[in-house]
Amino acid sequence: MAIAVPYLGHGVGLRPPHFPRLWDGTAAVDWFEALAENFMIAGGRPLAALDRARAHAPVALHGVSLSIASTDPLDGAYLGRLRALAARVEPAWLSDHLCWSGVAGHYAHDLLPLPFTEEALRHVVGRVVAVQERLGRQILLENVSSYLTFEHSTLAEWEFLGTVAEQADCGILLDVNNVHVSAVNHGFAAERYLAGLPADRVAQIHLAGHTDMGAYLFDTHDGPVIDPVWDLYRVALRRFGRVSTLIEWDDHIPELDVVCAEADRARAIETELLSAVHAASA
Amino acid sequence: MLPLRDVQLRFFAAITRGGPVDAGLRAVVREHGTLDAAARIEIYADMYRARLVDVLREDFPRVCALLGDEAFSTVAGRYLACHPSSHPSVRHLGHRFAGHLATERLPQPFLADLAHLEWARVEVFDAPDPEPLRLADLAAIAPTDWPALTLRPIAACRVVSSAWPVHEIWAAAGDGDAGGTWPAAPTTVRVWREGWSVSHAAMGAVEGEAFGILRRGVPFAEVCAAAEAGREPDAAAREVGALLVRWLEDGLLARLPER
Repeated sequence: MAIAVPYLGHGVGLRPPHFPRLWDGTAAVDWFEALAENFMIAGGRPLAALDRARAHAPVALHGVSLSIASTDPLDGAYLGRLRALAARVEPAWLSDHLCWSGVAGHYAHDLLPLPFTEEALRHVVGRVVAVQERLGRQILLENVSSYLTFEHSTLAEWEFLGTVAEQADCGILLDVNNVHVSAVNHGFAAERYLAGLPADRVAQIHLAGHTDMGAYLFDTHDGPVIDPVWDLYRVALRRFGRVSTLIEWDDHIPELDVVCAEADRARAIETELLSAVHAASA
Repeated sequence: MLPLRDVQLRFFAAITRGGPVDAGLRAVVREHGTLDAAARIEIYADMYRARLVDVLREDFPRVCALLGDEAFSTVAGRYLACHPSSHPSVRHLGHRFAGHLATERLPQPFLADLAHLEWARVEVFDAPDPEPLRLADLAAIAPTDWPALTLRPIAACRVVSSAWPVHEIWAAAGDGDAGGTWPAAPTTVRVWREGWSVSHAAMGAVEGEAFGILRRGVPFAEVCAAAEAGREPDAAAREVGALLVRWLEDGLLARLPER
């Protein structure tokens, strides 16, 4: 079985500095990705901007607080708010991260790493199934950037993510930048990660910038995509074909046109690569 | 091998509480390259603190301006230690910050109240969209219905009481004036949203009392009766009328439910 989502092209994250471009009608994008928690609110300008974006283009909802791998019980109230937001927005799909964000009733508001063990696998699969039942839809899970791994992991991250997707029948949001960051931080080949994922589960791609801290790479989303990540994007397109792609830019956010230029570059790469593949197979 | 629950409890404690890293956790973190287990855990601890202090800095910019960045960061760190986030949305992180400031020994005694005002503005910013009552709506009410009429503030409205002119301190801090002393002056401020714009205004004694009674959801006749207490009736009626017009112009009152 595969994940069934529409192809939306090359989008950008919906961020407050760009809201004026929604009001004046000049935000020419293929699609938006909105951070779900930012819009789990009762009213005000952000929610109006989301409605405006949705009227203008397709929107996907991207959460950061599902905490799918946490050993705390699932937060029913949170899932209720997420379901209500999805009913309002009618998103193309809904995604969150393969991580945990809190435990014992407290939240770190970060994407924390987990050991890739059989115990964790059973736990996460069961939670994804429960969440999808509660939301009445499939979700996508995204690989996160990480700065540590665990000695007692028995699976590679890509094996873990792919198995979760297969067993829980969910999709994968492949963050190509995160693969690169984690590959450098933990010393594995990024191409191996891509090769190890089930191709029919990859429903979306993220691209973003990061910061070189010297001893490690840090996932900061505060600049343009760097060349090694563009190269890895090419590898991903060859392996997965055409996949809806989104540029994330969350800090030092530039003008919308600068972010859109990154989306245009992704589009050009996709067009060039897939045309070449098509010509070769003709 | 540590069970997943154990890993998470130890990891969360390590990144939120600081201090030496638990030996059991350190033993299961793989060392690679130039970073040992403690250094890798420290990356998450640094991120936790930096990210959440930044959130508080954005929600309380004027408290931060008056305290100074370094002192604010220290106080915010103590707040996070006392009140770790218990809501999945980081939007709620600062809901106890003003109360926490009241327990801190701070150089300026009004900072907790200033934080109350800043938090009220945060809450109003994304409160339910107001559907304000208009003068024309009131004109349609029969005179016989007025005594039982109950007016309520919009949901996007808060009231902050302080022993200091907290609205003036807010304005001065926004202008970059981090001056240290202000004379005490009991102040009541209403905070509300018109459209998407958040405003606040100090209320005089009569308005503060009348608005406080109105917020209790009592018939408007009781608001008028309270205003008349010990005063010349015509003058009190004129004052209540003027207040009502001001509240309507500011969009402070909620549209009446359909009958």
